[in-house]
Amino acid sequence: MGNFIDKIFVMPIQSFGEKLIKFLPDLLSAVLILVVGFVLGLLLKAVLVRFFRTIGLDRFSQRSGVVAALQKGGIREPASLLLSKLFAGLVIISFSILAMRALKLVVIDDVLARFLLYIPNVFIAGVIILFGYILGNFLGRAVLIAAVNAGVKVSGLISRLVKVTVFLLATTMALEQLGIGSGTIVVAFAIILGGLVFAFSLAFGLGGKEIAKTYLEKRIKGDEAKDDISYL
Amino acid sequence: MTENGITVRQEIRDKIAAIGEADILVGIPSYNNSRTIGHVVKAVQAGLAKYFPSQKSIMVNSDGGSSDGTMDVVHATTIHDMKSILLAHRVEPLHKIATPYHGIPGKGSAFRTIFQIADALNVKACAVVDSDLRSITPEWVELLIKPVLDEGFDYVAPLYHRHKYDGTITNSIIYPLTRALYGKRVRQPIGGDFGFSGRLAQFYLGKDVWETDVARFGIDIWMTTTAIANNFKIAQSFLGAKIHDPKDPGADLSAMLYQVVGATFDLMEAYTDVWRKVQGSEPVPTFGFEYAVGLEPISVNLERMIEMFRLGLRELGGMWKGFLPPSALDALARTAGLSAAAFHIPDDVWVDIVYAFALAAHKKQMNKEHLLKSLTPLYLGRTASFVVDTRESGAADVEKKIEGLCARFEEKKAFLVRNLR
Repeated sequence: MGNFIDKIFVMPIQSFGEKLIKFLPDLLSAVLILVVGFVLGLLLKAVLVRFFRTIGLDRFSQRSGVVAALQKGGIREPASLLLSKLFAGLVIISFSILAMRALKLVVIDDVLARFLLYIPNVFIAGVIILFGYILGNFLGRAVLIAAVNAGVKVSGLISRLVKVTVFLLATTMALEQLGIGSGTIVVAFAIILGGLVFAFSLAFGLGGKEIAKTYLEKRIKGDEAKDDISYL
Repeated sequence: MTENGITVRQEIRDKIAAIGEADILVGIPSYNNSRTIGHVVKAVQAGLAKYFPSQKSIMVNSDGGSSDGTMDVVHATTIHDMKSILLAHRVEPLHKIATPYHGIPGKGSAFRTIFQIADALNVKACAVVDSDLRSITPEWVELLIKPVLDEGFDYVAPLYHRHKYDGTITNSIIYPLTRALYGKRVRQPIGGDFGFSGRLAQFYLGKDVWETDVARFGIDIWMTTTAIANNFKIAQSFLGAKIHDPKDPGADLSAMLYQVVGATFDLMEAYTDVWRKVQGSEPVPTFGFEYAVGLEPISVNLERMIEMFRLGLRELGGMWKGFLPPSALDALARTAGLSAAAFHIPDDVWVDIVYAFALAAHKKQMNKEHLLKSLTPLYLGRTASFVVDTRESGAADVEKKIEGLCARFEEKKAFLVRNLR
C-alpha cells in the first residue's frame, strides 16, 4: 500500500519538486532579463525622444503630411514620441524573447526562431510603407500644384490618383517582402492599375472627345485668349 | 578654364590683358536675342560715345549659348555714321567683348562673367542692360553711369514708366515687400537695367552665391538687396519707357514666382538682422527728367485669371489652411463668390497672404518649391483684382494705389517681425 502511495503521489511530487528546483534559476534569469529589457526600453525611449526632437523630426513629419495622416487615424502623439515608443517596444520585445529562451523550452524555442527570422521582414515592410506614404504625399502635392497652375479642372482627382498609385505600389512591395501571396498581389496590382488606365482611356476617349478636341484646337491653333502681361 | 578667377576663354583673357584697365564697362547679358540686341548694342555705343568720349570704355556681351547668332550680331553691329547722332567724335576707342559665359545657365551666371571682367579691368563704373529692350536710348547709358562716376553712388536702379498691367510681380510683391523690409523706396528693384560702381562689382563677386538660384534668375533682386542691406549708396534714374521684346505669355509663371519670390525670401533670411530694425521707408535720390510716355496697350484675359484663382482656392485651400490666417481664408472665400466686375482682394488681405507665405518659408512648414508655386493662383487673383480696380485709372492713380499697398506692407511689418522665430 505504502509502495502504491509512493508511486502515485510522492514520486511525482518529488519529481515535480526536482524539476521546479532545476527550472527556478531559469525562471529567475528570465524574469531578470525581462526587467532589464523594460528598464533599457524606457531609458532608450527617453533618450530617443530628445534626439528626434533635436534633429527636427516633428517638423519634418508635419511638412511631409505624416502628422496629418496619423491625426486622421486618431493618433495625436508627435512622431518623435511614436518612433521612440516603437524602438523602446522593439527592445522590450527582444528582451522578452531572450527571457523566453532562457526558460529553455523546446516548443517556445522553435516558435521564437521562426518569429525572430520574420521580424526583419516586418520592419522592412513598415519602412517601405512609411516611405511610400511620404513619397505619395510629396508627389501628389507636386502634381496637384502643377495641375492647378496649368488650369486643369480635375487637379484634385489626378493628385489623388498619383498618391494612391504610389501607396499601392509601396503596399505591394511591402506585402511581397512579408511573403504574403506575393505572386497574387503583383498580378492583382497589375490588373487594377491596367484596368484603371484602360477605364480612363475609354472614359476620355468616349466621354471627353469634344473636350479633347476643343483643348487641342485651342492649344495648337492658339485660339485661347492670352495675356500680354509681363509679370516681372 | 579659370585663371585669376575669370571663367572665360583664353582669347578673351588675352583681350582683357591687352586692354589693361578701363573706366566704364557696359554689360549685356543675352540668350537668343538676335532680333533686338543690335539695337541695344547701337544705343550703348552711341551712349558711350556721346556722354563719355574721353573715358576708356568697354562693352561686354555675356551670352548663354544662343543658337540664333546673337553673338554674331554683337560683333557685326557698329554705328557707321556717328555724325548723325554726335556733334563730336569720341576720343577713346570703344572695346567690345562677346563671350559665352560658364556655369549654371541663367542671367546670374551672365552677370558673374561681366563682374569678373569689370574686376579684371579695374573699372570705375559699370552698367548692365537687357538685350531684349526696344526702348533703350543712348541716354540710358548716361543715366546709369553718371550718378556713379560723378556723384559717388554705388548702385543706380532704373525707374521706368510702364503700362499699368506691366510688372505685376514687381508692383504687388517685390517692390512693396523690399521697401517695407529695407526702408528704401527703390521702385524697380528687379528692373534688369542697373548702374553700379567697380567697388560694388568686386563686393558682388566676393559673395558665395554663384552656384545657387541667384545664378539663375534671382540675380536682380539679389543685386538690389545686397546693395541696400550692405549700406552702399543707392540712387535711381528715370529712363523713360520700358518696352521689350514680347516674352512668351505662356512662360511658366509659377517658376518665375518661385525664383523671384524665393530669392527675396532667401535674402530675408540672410539679412534678418538688417531689416528687423527698419521702420517706415525713405525715398532714394532720383536722377533724370521725368516725362510722360506713350505705352503699348496690353490685353488681359481677366476671366481666365479669376478661374485660375477659384480653382486654386478649391484645390489648394486645404494646404493654405496650414499657414494662412483664417481671416485671409475667409476673405478669399468671399472673393471667389464675386462676379468678374466686382472681383476684389483687399490690400490688407494681400499683405497678410504675402507675410504668411514669408513666415511659412522661414519656418520651413513645407517644401519651398511647393509653397511658392502654390502662391500662383493667389497672385493671379490679386492681379485680376488690380486689373478690375484700375480699369479706368490713369498712371498717377495706379501709382497712388501701389503707394497705398506699400503703406499697408509697412504698417503690417510688425506682424512679420513679431511672428519671426
